[in-house]
Amino acid sequence: MSPGLRRYIFVRILLTIPMVLILVTVVFFVLRVIPGDPAVAILREGASEEQLASFRAAAGLDQPLHIQYFRYISGVVRLDFGEAMKRSVPVMQEIRTFFPATVELAIYSMLITASVGIFFGAYAAHNRKSAADYGIRISSIILYSLPIFWLGLMLQMIFGAQLGWLPVSGRLSPGMTPGPEETITGLYTIDAILNRNWVLFKDAILHLILPSITLGLVLAGIFTRLTRANMLDVLEQDYITAGRARGIWERVLVYRHGLRNAFIPIVTLLGLQVALLLAGAILTETTFSWPGLGRLVVQRIYDRDFATLQGAIIFFALIVAGVSLIVDILYGFLDPRIRY
Amino acid sequence: MNISSPNTTAQTSKLVDENIGFVRRIWRGRIWYGTEWYITVIGGLILLGVTMMTILAPVLAPYDPNEFIGAPFTPPGRGQQALVSRTGENPVPSASEITDEVVGVQRNQNGVNLAKELNYEYERYQNQEELLTALENGEVDLIFINQELVPEVLGAYPNLGVVDEKLGRSYRLGTDNLGRDISSRIVWGARTILGVALASALLSSFVGIPLGLISGFAGGKVDRTLSLVMDSIYSFPGLLLAIALAAMLGPGLLNVAVAISVIYIPTFYRVVRGQVLSIKESLYVDAARSLGAKSSNILRRYIFPNVIPSVVVVFSLNIADAIITAAGLAFIGLGLPPDIPDWGYDLSKGHSFLVAGQWWMITFPGIMITLVAAGFSLFGEGLSEILNPRLVK
Repeated sequence: MSPGLRRYIFVRILLTIPMVLILVTVVFFVLRVIPGDPAVAILREGASEEQLASFRAAAGLDQPLHIQYFRYISGVVRLDFGEAMKRSVPVMQEIRTFFPATVELAIYSMLITASVGIFFGAYAAHNRKSAADYGIRISSIILYSLPIFWLGLMLQMIFGAQLGWLPVSGRLSPGMTPGPEETITGLYTIDAILNRNWVLFKDAILHLILPSITLGLVLAGIFTRLTRANMLDVLEQDYITAGRARGIWERVLVYRHGLRNAFIPIVTLLGLQVALLLAGAILTETTFSWPGLGRLVVQRIYDRDFATLQGAIIFFALIVAGVSLIVDILYGFLDPRIRY
Repeated sequence: MNISSPNTTAQTSKLVDENIGFVRRIWRGRIWYGTEWYITVIGGLILLGVTMMTILAPVLAPYDPNEFIGAPFTPPGRGQQALVSRTGENPVPSASEITDEVVGVQRNQNGVNLAKELNYEYERYQNQEELLTALENGEVDLIFINQELVPEVLGAYPNLGVVDEKLGRSYRLGTDNLGRDISSRIVWGARTILGVALASALLSSFVGIPLGLISGFAGGKVDRTLSLVMDSIYSFPGLLLAIALAAMLGPGLLNVAVAISVIYIPTFYRVVRGQVLSIKESLYVDAARSLGAKSSNILRRYIFPNVIPSVVVVFSLNIADAIITAAGLAFIGLGLPPDIPDWGYDLSKGHSFLVAGQWWMITFPGIMITLVAAGFSLFGEGLSEILNPRLVK
């Protein structure tokens, strides 16, 4: 590892820390400074003063704000988000239960986003200013103007309710949930392959199709544009012109030489879509009753369990920061020009 | 480089000088702006349509969006029709002839509203059988039944006839689970969503633009701190932040707008800051400075006007995003109070009845959200390539 690379990785990690800290702070104060007493909000109107006081003491809400804040920060460092309000479960345990579903949905959606986005983006860039280019550009604008949950609802209605081809909601059919001895990663499709349980695999895949197409297609709208812009940059490079002058077959030139070189920025961009992916996952999970983190967030809003809500939101922030850190470091490995 | 643009300046000036009408001028916009022009025009037309819809809502909407006016789950284009008894060879009377009569209505159906609205007296009956018998016996002079049953009933009771279409009613886009007219809710919902999106975009630009100007112009520590904060918020899944804010602020038009505006402040900030950084280096700013212009003057008179084109583009794209976010919040259940017609709220209601096959409850609000969001996106995209031609790819 060259010293330049080491320095780059070091600085990149250092830069992530204030970013996360700012987010934790923003979320913490947003959930507290805004008018409204969480104790009243959780116990509802009509709770007696003693009940409120004991609840505040139990949740640490009677402490001064700055003490609460530092206590919370020191917890986050240890990945301890405190206890869920109302039920005495650590927030982290709740997150751990719901997280694998989100990861599974995210992986399959990413596959769809990447394949659709790269194919159409490269094609549009290759045939710039053609009818196909404008068609692809306008449809990608329409795709990302689609409310993600509406696309989900329509797919549910057409393929689930009307045609009856695919299940409408959930991760598995009732009664299919694998036992604890079969759970290895928590991702049902992967677990099923590892256990050679093909019935479970088929069921999990069938349940995954609609949610991942929903999430994948909307993101593909954005990703197509990014790929197209990147491919256009690459296709303007001198080596493409040189290749063309040497008489390399156009299709080989664009899709092999061009796309291969555009790949690094494209994959980076894909990594940076994680924030969008997670935001989209919240709505997709709500639409398809998918038991993931987004559903946890929405449910805890109804329960007014702000401890879990805050924990889940900060967990999202950590993931986004972590993924962009990893992507940037990988980028640094692949492209020696990227240094601080 | 644009293949479709004319090659010589002479040709261009000839086309420009030509005295052409307004419509043809729009049609020919491509000559000056390239094919991007069409994208802008399509977006602009959609926006014009939606704006008209918000202005003309009281005229366009046939009913009050919150009123329970018909049977729940009436499919689009269906409704109720008025039947009268016709004896012998008499032709079916027209609507004007049958005022001051008694109307038979079914219990659990919303014929009562209809009768009240038309100023008729009414009698209630348990079911349709009794209703038809009452009409045959002359106890009532007029009844309302569901449109799709009319042919069947007319076949079974040959001495009944349909009165003037106007007396009955049909719902262009059907009714929802509470018997509210979906077309009216769509028309009034346009006001809501545009209001929320516009308010949130204004709020975020009021905060984001000044911060961007200061940060870009001042540089140094201020710039670094602000950039770090803004980048952190920018990299975070915006919807989550909006969810947290909306959950804490509670329902309400302004609350939702505030919750959404927070996540778009960094967008304005980043664009404005970037622009200021490049404009700051330009010759005319140097010239102004060497002539002794005050910093505040430079910022206000030399830099700010040049930032406006980018802000306009971001504003349009931002509204498109805000519309989708607002609908998403409403879908989760964090939107507006239920008495405000809202497309996102209607979608979340339709979600519960989707499996039962009531497709019209989710189809129309969703199409409208997509159309309006796409309108703003297309308009912004087209505009950005027209205003910043060097970025055209």
